[in-house]
Amino acid sequence: MNEQALRWRSMVGVWRRHAVCLLRTWKVALTWFLIEPAFVLIAMGAGVGRLIDELPGHGSYAEFVTPGMIVGMAMFHALFECAWGCFNRIQQGTMETMLTAPVTLAELAAGEVLWGATRAIISTLAVGGFALMLGWLPISALPGVALIAAIIGLQFGAIGLCFAAASPSLSTLTLVFTVLATPLFFFSGSFFPIEVLPQWLQPLAWLAPLTPGVHLARGFAVGAMDMTHAWSALYLAVLSVGFFPIAVKLLQRRLVK
Amino acid sequence: MNEHDSVIRVNGVVKRYADLCAIDGISFAVQGGETVGLLGPNGAGKTSTMRALAGLSPWDQGQVSVAGLDAATEGRRIRQIMGVVTQHDGLDNELNVTQNLELFGYLAGVSRTAVRRRAREVLEFFSLTGRATDDVDDLSGGMKRRLAIARALMIDPEVIVLDEPTTGLDPHSRAQVWEKLAQLKSAGVTVLMSTHYMDEAAILCDRIAIMDHGRILALAPPHALIERYAGGQVVEIRLDGAERQILRDALRASGVKWRELGALFRVLDGDTDLTALQELAGVRIERRATNLEDVFLRLTGKELDDE
Ligand SMILES: Nc1ncnc2c1ncn2[C@@H]1O[C@H](COP(=O)(O)OP(=O)(O)OP(=O)(O)O)[C@@H](O)[C@H]1O
Ligand SMILES: [Mg+2]
Repeated sequence: MNEQALRWRSMVGVWRRHAVCLLRTWKVALTWFLIEPAFVLIAMGAGVGRLIDELPGHGSYAEFVTPGMIVGMAMFHALFECAWGCFNRIQQGTMETMLTAPVTLAELAAGEVLWGATRAIISTLAVGGFALMLGWLPISALPGVALIAAIIGLQFGAIGLCFAAASPSLSTLTLVFTVLATPLFFFSGSFFPIEVLPQWLQPLAWLAPLTPGVHLARGFAVGAMDMTHAWSALYLAVLSVGFFPIAVKLLQRRLVK
Repeated sequence: MNEHDSVIRVNGVVKRYADLCAIDGISFAVQGGETVGLLGPNGAGKTSTMRALAGLSPWDQGQVSVAGLDAATEGRRIRQIMGVVTQHDGLDNELNVTQNLELFGYLAGVSRTAVRRRAREVLEFFSLTGRATDDVDDLSGGMKRRLAIARALMIDPEVIVLDEPTTGLDPHSRAQVWEKLAQLKSAGVTVLMSTHYMDEAAILCDRIAIMDHGRILALAPPHALIERYAGGQVVEIRLDGAERQILRDALRASGVKWRELGALFRVLDGDTDLTALQELAGVRIERRATNLEDVFLRLTGKELDDE
C-alpha cells in the first residue's frame, strides 16, 4: 500500500537485524572473510597470473585481475544476501511478520539492499586488504574501489531482491546465480580485457550490468580515467537505482495480498 | 455510542480474492479500552479483517480506520500505536529471544536505550526473563506464543489485535495468556482478538462478533447473545444402551429438531415437550443452561469445528 516517505530509522532497523545475525556467528563469518580472499586472489593472481605475461598499461596479471575480482566478489555477496537470504525469510514468513511493525514495504526493501551493499563493502575490504599486502592494489585505490563495490552492492542487492520476490521455488531462485551472476563474472572484463572478445560480443559485454563497476574499479586501481569511465559512471548510476522500484513492486506482489 | 469514542471503525468492508469473497460487507466499531472478539470457523474472514485493520492488505470497498487514521493510506502510523499478533508466531529463528523483541523496537524507530529497557519489561511481563538469550527454537509452543505477543508490546501500544492468541496451546498456557490479556485490558489497552474458542471469547471479551462466510452475524456482549439467540436451556440426550435408530425414530415422532454430535443428541428448542422420550429405555436426558456454543449453532447452523 502506498505510504509516506522512507524513514531512515526503520531502514536501519532492518539493517541492524542482519548485523546482529552476522555478529551472532562472527567466528564462522570471520574465517570466511579471511579465507575467501586468500583463496580467490592467490588462485587468480599467483596461479593463473604466472602463466600470463604483463598486460600493457596494467602491469602484472595479478594487478589487472584484482579490481575485477573485488567487484565480482562484491556482486556475489550482495546477490547472495538479498536473493538467498530474502527468499528464505519470505518462505519462513519472517519478512511478512516484520511488516506488522511500523515499517513500510519500501523501507523493508531498502534495509535489505543496504545490507547487501554492506556485505559487498566487507568483502571488498577483506579482498582489497589482502591485495594491498601482496602489493597487487595501491592503497590510494582502496577508497575508490570500495565506493564502487558499495554501489555494485546496492545494484545487485536490488537485483537479488527482485529474484527473491519473484521466485516461486528454490530452483528458480538458483537461476540468479547460474544464468546471471556466473556469466557476468566471466564476461564483464574481470579476467581479461573486453577488447580481446570477438568484435560482435564486445558491445554486449560493455552493456553487461557488472562491466561499468569493473571498468571503474580498474580505473581507480590504475589511477587513470578517461571518457569511457564517465560513461561507465553514468551507466552504473542508472543501474544502481533502477532495480530498486522493481524490487519493491515484486515484493509487494509477493507479500501484500 | 459516540463515534468519536471508537478506536477501531470498520465500515462496509468488502474484500475479494478472485471470485471468493473473504470479507462480505462487514461493519463494526471498537470503543477505547474495550475488548472485542471475532468468533468464527476456519475461513470466516477473521485474519483478513485484522490484516486490513493493520494496513497490511488492501480491500475492495468500504472504510477502515484506527484512532482516526485511515488504514488504506496510513498503515505505518497505525502500526506505530497498534500492536499486531499474527496467527503464526513468525519468530525469527536466526535471532535469540531478546533480539526478536529488540528488532521490533528498532523498526518502530525507538532509541537504543528505550528498546533495551522495553525488551526487559515485556520479558518480565511474560515471565520469559530466564529465556532472554535462548534461541527461539528452544522455546515451547506456549513460550513462543507469549514471545509473539510480547513482540507486539514493544511499541507500548494503545490498541492490540491478536489473531488466535491461544490456538494450539495447552490449558495451562492458555490461562497464562488470558491472564496477560486481562492485565492489558485493565491497563486500558483496546483489544480486538479472533478465536475459535467459546470459553476464551466468553472470558475475555466485552462483546463478541460471530462471523461466518465473511459476514458478522451478530455482535453483542456474551450474555446478551445467549439470551437473544439461545434461550434459557437446551436438552441433550445421551445414549445409554439404546440404539441410535430407536432414538431417532422417537425424536421424529415427537416432532422436534435435533442434531447429532457424536454420541450426543442435542434438541434445539429447550422448551419442547419430551415426555414421550422419558419412557424410552437406555437414554439419559439432561437439561443444561445454554452457552455461546448454542448461539453459534443457532446462527450458523454448524458447530465451530465443522469444516
Ligand atoms: N492470499 C489469499 N489468496 C486467496 N484466498 C485467500 C487468501 N487469504 C485468505 N483467503 C481466503 O479468504 C477467506 C477468509 O480467510 P481468513 O484467513 O480471513 O479466514 P480466518 O477466519 O482467519 O480463518 P482461520 O480460522 O482458518 O484462520 C478464506 O476462504 C480463505 O481461503
Ligand atoms: Mg485466520
